[in-house]
Amino acid sequence: MTLSHIRKLMLSSLLLFTSFAVSAQPFVFTAIPDEDETKLVERFRGIADYLQEELGVEVRYIPVKSYAAAISAFRNNQVQLAWFGGLSGVQARELVPGSEALAQGVEDEAFYNYFIAHTSTGLEMSDTLPEEMRGKTFTFGSKGSTSGRLIPEYHIRRVFNEAPEDVFSRVGFSGNHTRTLRLVEAGTYELGAINFAVWEKELADGNIDTDEVKVIWKTPAYPNYQWSIRGDVDERYGDGFKEKVRQALLNMDDPELLESFPRSGFIPTENENYEPIRSVAEQIGILD
Amino acid sequence: MAGFQFSGLTASFGGERVLGPLTFGVEEGERIALVGRSGAGKSTLIKLIHERVDGHASLVPQDLGLVNALPVFHNVFIGQLDRHPTWYNSLTLIRPFRKDRDAVRSLLRELSMEEKFWIPTASLSGGQRQRVAIARALYRNADLLLADEPISALDGPMANLIMEALQQRFTTSVVALHDVDMALSFATRIIGIQDGQIALDEPSSRLTAADITPLY
Amino acid sequence: MYLSPTARISLLFLAIAVAGLFVADIAITASNPWRDLGRFFLGVATPDFFSTEGLATALLRTVAFAFVGVALGSACGFLLSLVYRFYPVRIFCAFIRAIHELFWALIFLQFFGFHPLTGVLAIAIPYSGIFAKVYSEILEEADPGPGRLLPPGTGVISAFLYTRIPDCWVQLRTYTAYRLECGLRSSAILGFVGLPTLGFYLETSFSQGLYSEAGAMLILFYVLIATIPIWVRPRLLPVYMVGAPFFLGDGMPIIWGNVERFFTQDIVPAPLRDGEGLASLGHWLHDLLVNEALPGIWNTVVLTQIALVATGILTLLAFPLISNHFGGPIRRTGGHVFLVIARSTPEYILAYILLQLWGPSMLPAVVALALHNGGIIGHLIGRQTNTLQLRPDAPSGFNRYSWELVPRVYRSFLAFLFYRWEIIMRETAILGILGIYTLGFYVDSAIQQIRFDRAMVLILITALLNIGIDVLGRYIRRKLALQTMPTC
Repeated sequence: MTLSHIRKLMLSSLLLFTSFAVSAQPFVFTAIPDEDETKLVERFRGIADYLQEELGVEVRYIPVKSYAAAISAFRNNQVQLAWFGGLSGVQARELVPGSEALAQGVEDEAFYNYFIAHTSTGLEMSDTLPEEMRGKTFTFGSKGSTSGRLIPEYHIRRVFNEAPEDVFSRVGFSGNHTRTLRLVEAGTYELGAINFAVWEKELADGNIDTDEVKVIWKTPAYPNYQWSIRGDVDERYGDGFKEKVRQALLNMDDPELLESFPRSGFIPTENENYEPIRSVAEQIGILD
Repeated sequence: MAGFQFSGLTASFGGERVLGPLTFGVEEGERIALVGRSGAGKSTLIKLIHERVDGHASLVPQDLGLVNALPVFHNVFIGQLDRHPTWYNSLTLIRPFRKDRDAVRSLLRELSMEEKFWIPTASLSGGQRQRVAIARALYRNADLLLADEPISALDGPMANLIMEALQQRFTTSVVALHDVDMALSFATRIIGIQDGQIALDEPSSRLTAADITPLY
Repeated sequence: MYLSPTARISLLFLAIAVAGLFVADIAITASNPWRDLGRFFLGVATPDFFSTEGLATALLRTVAFAFVGVALGSACGFLLSLVYRFYPVRIFCAFIRAIHELFWALIFLQFFGFHPLTGVLAIAIPYSGIFAKVYSEILEEADPGPGRLLPPGTGVISAFLYTRIPDCWVQLRTYTAYRLECGLRSSAILGFVGLPTLGFYLETSFSQGLYSEAGAMLILFYVLIATIPIWVRPRLLPVYMVGAPFFLGDGMPIIWGNVERFFTQDIVPAPLRDGEGLASLGHWLHDLLVNEALPGIWNTVVLTQIALVATGILTLLAFPLISNHFGGPIRRTGGHVFLVIARSTPEYILAYILLQLWGPSMLPAVVALALHNGGIIGHLIGRQTNTLQLRPDAPSGFNRYSWELVPRVYRSFLAFLFYRWEIIMRETAILGILGIYTLGFYVDSAIQQIRFDRAMVLILITALLNIGIDVLGRYIRRKLALQTMPTC
């Protein structure tokens, strides 16, 4: 009994292997895990289906657990396309010569952040980061996030002239924007920094208890999320493939897909647009 | 290995000399019984000889040296591990070959413990374990037998049976025995050990039990 | 006043832990921790087994990674155990087992990516080191007698197979089976860094507050571990061994150029890579040590010492729960269930859960470490008390506990505790990934910043710290003549 069982098992696994071998070289992409995973998977499976249709090759999305994992997968050529934040895009393209920022969301050209506070702090919306923030608890998003870490830290250092650990009594990294929102809403942290797009979307969906948490400051604009692609995709998937991907992204007009990001559409961009992000990262010491 | 002659045999324990220095020789065909009080140095002497002959002997040590987790068959088969290549031995560990099984079985039949063939030695009685060690020595089939109290846990008839088998199979042997009568009937030469020295060395034909008793 | 050496060392460690409490960051920062805890328990009570499509696959992958990792680890560990008497081999084994599975996974992720090999090696490598040590200890205890009277000319392998292995076989098998249970726990937590095992889905559900989903996964995991004696049978093992590699999932293809790049570029310290010379390297190292390694070491040590004593206290409180000398069968069953859950839950998962519920500080980590390790030692000590025969007129209640039982088991209690000291430190370091400022936090930060050179130095420091604690723990056990069997 066991023997026939084993044989069946080996046969099926063999078939499994060959089926992968036949459909070799799918076009794979990933995205930084900046929000709840369920939402990401839903969103990017839709994108995968869309791209597969437009590009005529098999397209797969793989979810990752950290920003660094997204960058490493891109660098290691295990994914060829990625939806990066400003900072992760700069880091990734630095590591992969020839890679390019292809397209960004309309909103990403001038992205901004909210600093949010639990209502018990008594802080209100103001024109700058209020001095009363000092001594409270504060959470960033992910360690490698632009809007969750880099930009907030930059402004905290600029205003207080000190490292965040010295300004606040406790500094944490929630992991992603949705969690920053939940943690501040619950009062686990008194303050937090969140990207405006997540905040606005959650607010519109009625997922924020505005009696518990409110926006206290809006940052100046900076360039953020973008689709980045490896430089060697043309060799691998045929001449003009990169342009095809760019066009597919720019042509995306399915309101449901766009709404899931949420972006109103995608526009072309290039590596140079992210120079401000690089210089901020170098100032803070995240980039060498 | 026929006869041998070793000199300068000594052994110390905890800085104190327990044996020798003594000279010890055996002619081919001799059957020697070592007699003496326990602690006199018989076991030590047997160990020393085993070292001096580089292990070229069938040995039955007092603690038997059985691999308790292995069945009787394998414990006996161990006696001929040097005659087969590694793959053969490894395979035998899992599934013995018929000819080895038959050889070991007939040997065990001689010692009337055939029915214990597949029983791990850990679950045997003291006398049975002793017979397994003897079977291993017989299977090993060296020219020289070195045995330390090989029948201490066996009853009269069985002891006689074993001693006869040993007498038949080995031309030359050195056996420590505490049973004086058995020593006299088995050995061609008796060596008495007292306080680490040879106190008596005579052909057994010239001795009676009374001559030996003072050693105890 | 005269104090026995065991009492003195206990008081010393207690004093260190109390001092540690003053400098440690212990707090509940969540504004409503009990509401969240309540929601969590409600979730466990109302598990939802059908929400995640991948749950069955995740369990299968968890088992597959555990099997392949432990099998490979035990094979390599066995070979290493044969040469374990050589000093360099000992050092090598101590080193590879001083690095936690999750750190190994983080390293392999950088060049193998999400390939099954990452997860397999992450388990197999540290386990090889542990297997080598324990196997060699077991083999050393085999009776040397039979080996001495083999015919001269017997092959080394034949001699080994006939005179060493049979005597140790049962112990080797028992220990390997026990390690398989540990392997299941290791495999589950690998999901937290992105491998397709249970931790992957657990993290997703938890972070989104889907407690019924998370509860279902935890329950399935407990069932999986509790039923090991039923589904792991010697006869089925070959089937599992042959089958397991096929259930690891396909992951992403390995690109070997990445491996070369990792070793020849990524982990070379930045100043050397950029050719800035030794002075610059000194500066780089100094900066790394002062700003990351030292705070990391300090927090790791403080947390370890507090967790160690907390583990001890919990053990002493918990072992009566399963002891025959107290309470009826109903309470003992309850005690068993509690201890099984406590010791089956990897401390990483416990700490993760408590961090979500109570907010970030060292407290969740201390409680998680104490629960898990206290569960293991409490179980062993409780079982040990069940073998004790008390005189018929022995006192009852607290007097029985304090006068009859604790004095008799105290030495083995200490032995287990000091044995687990190094394990607790290894876990403490890794909990940094969850946001507590131990060494793992800085390792994770370096990896997030794609600075593997820094990450490697920090992992190296973590390993050395573990080896140091291991040596110290062994020294104390030897000084006090405490003996124990290995646990994981």
